[in-house]
Amino acid sequence: MASDINDQALDYLLARAGLDLTAEQKAELKTIHAGLAAMAERVRKPRGRMAEPAHGYGFAEEDLA
Amino acid sequence: MSDPIPTIAEAARQIAAKQLSPVELTRACLARVHALDRELHAFVHLTEERALAEARAAERAITAGRPLGPLHGIPIGLKDIVDTKGIPTTCGSKFLQDNIPDTDAACAEKLAAAGTVLIGKLTTHEFADGGPSFDLPKPPARNPWNTEHFTAGSSSGTGAGVAAGLILGGIGTDTGGSIRGPAALCGIAGIKPTYGLVSRAGVAPAAYSLDHIGPMAWTAEDCALMLQALAGHDPRDPASASRPLPDYTALLGREIKGLKIGVIHHFHEVDHKVSDGTQHGITAALATFRDLGAELREVQLSPLQDWAACGSLISITERAAAYEEWSRTRLGDFSERMRSRLMLGAFVSGVDYVQAVRRRRELRAELQAAMAGLDVVLTATQPAEAAKIDEVPKWDLFDKPGFTMPFNVAGYPAISVCAGFGDRGLPVAIQLVGNPFQEPTLFRVADAFEKATPFRAQRPALISA
Repeated sequence: MASDINDQALDYLLARAGLDLTAEQKAELKTIHAGLAAMAERVRKPRGRMAEPAHGYGFAEEDLA
Repeated sequence: MSDPIPTIAEAARQIAAKQLSPVELTRACLARVHALDRELHAFVHLTEERALAEARAAERAITAGRPLGPLHGIPIGLKDIVDTKGIPTTCGSKFLQDNIPDTDAACAEKLAAAGTVLIGKLTTHEFADGGPSFDLPKPPARNPWNTEHFTAGSSSGTGAGVAAGLILGGIGTDTGGSIRGPAALCGIAGIKPTYGLVSRAGVAPAAYSLDHIGPMAWTAEDCALMLQALAGHDPRDPASASRPLPDYTALLGREIKGLKIGVIHHFHEVDHKVSDGTQHGITAALATFRDLGAELREVQLSPLQDWAACGSLISITERAAAYEEWSRTRLGDFSERMRSRLMLGAFVSGVDYVQAVRRRRELRAELQAAMAGLDVVLTATQPAEAAKIDEVPKWDLFDKPGFTMPFNVAGYPAISVCAGFGDRGLPVAIQLVGNPFQEPTLFRVADAFEKATPFRAQRPALISA
């Protein structure tokens, strides 16, 4: 994820999310993007493709009843 | 007004000995509500008639020799994201002003079955996020230690209500610190139990995989009494744990000599340096634990910023998913702060989310390894004393990572207890974290600390004013 964002990219992301924002809200969101992008980089570590996520799926007793 | 406010444990003993009437106890709480809540805004909805009826029923049952246990006749409150049959449940939102659920949430059901007296529904940030907001139907709760100051959130009404003695205990929910934050800033105890220990059924979601339900009360012992009633498997909650329940009070009063306490110094001294008042509270707490015979060890984890990034990405995405329909159709009806949080969902891709969930697995394994051989670990709960309510920054999650989120990410149980008072007389706190499902040990350590320190003897001055 890039650390800054232009109007075109912002409009695309908002359209994909189905959000209809005012110009003021868009301007605020643009100032936040870099912080969020840094977080997204921070969770990426060299871990290889076999590393599983925390949310596993298992069958609970209720599923099998 | 200036009568001493009993803890749940004290009230239970007095009720059992027929020295205290549940009706009189309830009337005393209601009197404090009427005297103080115009200023505190801890309640969004009072259930006064029901409370008095429940108190009378409790009194009759106890007199007839049919007591239900230590919570029988105890006045409590429920955060207003907890469904209550026949009672408005607004989640602090314009969306649900007319919402009256036809069933109780699991936690409401369990506390009612334990004989508690429901005083009412407590103020929350909208859908348990953002805040403090001044553009919602009800104003934000105020801190009883100084009403110009914030309570923290999102279980803001529960924190204020317990501290001011409007209730003896209450329900909070915690997705990144929403029980422990208000507990810290309001000078009370609050525990986020192990993920899955208390059913989330009937409680509005903030972020599914981080949401926890838990008790808030004046002392750790009171939290243990409440958790006893709240814990247990519930098939209505897909994350509910199925395991035998211990006696959460079993280890209270035992000495903690020889217990091993890890201290995550770098969280509160380097990664996010706390205020002088908070650091003083932590330093004094460590000395207290040493005096009690505990062994202190240094613990090193990934930087707080790693935990915050992981938790925030998960939280932002799950919240955006939960409230997507309203975000798309009625975004303007959310409070400004909640709307801003929901907008962030547009920036997190599916791949970002999965990377965060993979990171979560690594971080949890790291905590598990670090806690091997330790009974609890300790760090700050909040970076400083409560800020003024109109000076709470909107965007501090990027540069000021919270101390509570790591244990939502890991799902480990964590309790906040009062560790003194800062310069302006506002409470400071420590956070103790236990191993999964080891709440009895957590309560043992927290209780020993509270009993070794004088902070439980002091209530906010406005109660006696």
